Amino acid sequence: MAQDRLSSTLFALADPTRRGILARLATGDATVTELAEPYDMSLAAVSKHLKVLETAGLISRGREAQWRPCHLEAAPLADISEWVEGYRRFWDRSLDHLADYLKTMKKPGSDSSGV
Amino acid sequence: MSASVEANSVTEAVILMSRMFDAPRDLVWETMTDPKHVSQWWGGPGFTNPVCEMDVRPGGKWHHVMRTPDGQQFTFNFIFVEVVRPERLVWQDVNHGKAQGGPPTCVNIVTFEDHGQQTKWKLVARFNSIAERDFAAQMGFSDMISVSTDRLAAHLQTL
Repeated sequence: MAQDRLSSTLFALADPTRRGILARLATGDATVTELAEPYDMSLAAVSKHLKVLETAGLISRGREAQWRPCHLEAAPLADISEWVEGYRRFWDRSLDHLADYLKTMKKPGSDSSGV
Repeated sequence: MSASVEANSVTEAVILMSRMFDAPRDLVWETMTDPKHVSQWWGGPGFTNPVCEMDVRPGGKWHHVMRTPDGQQFTFNFIFVEVVRPERLVWQDVNHGKAQGGPPTCVNIVTFEDHGQQTKWKLVARFNSIAERDFAAQMGFSDMISVSTDRLAAHLQTL
């Protein structure tokens, strides 16, 4: 389940408009109209992008019907970071082990060409 | 001897790791491509690898089951993409680039540089091809969230 969420975060980030929207929200909450300003696209198109970001948990929307300001949510990005870190640790550990293993293979008398 | 992890540029969407091994290149290649060796080190100390079947040629499969020290079992299904003995090995998850909504997948590109009695091992891991170019962005994201949202904004604008 956590991995599905990672995937939806990856998908949400794979679009320059959506990244632009997140960049804008990093400076403070904003309404759809404000978010649409820099883009040559309809409010409906921007709303679609917001929906993707909201589904991925990257943004939340305010309750007030009229304004519904968008707010940046950092948690999914932290999940990605954690996942990347896990991958990095996997290799670190494996490579340490491989280095030790290589040492045992190179002991005097052992024939490394035969392996 | 610890692996170095380089902060990536935003145009290269990857995790980069490298390490110098005190062993000649042919030997390092063997230990990365022969199941009897891979099963010895994959995962790290305390991990076991009850299944490791490798068909090391382009299009060949690598079926692998790893058990963690606390008994959890993970299955990997990779496919070899490039096999250039003894300098370059590329493999990816069998589902890489196919499914949306599955777990993140990646392409792993490992190169082996000959340094005489030493070998420089380099990994480039590219994640989810659809978001490939954006992966560095996510790493950037995570760093900056802990720093400040101002920097996040600046970084995002460069993407």
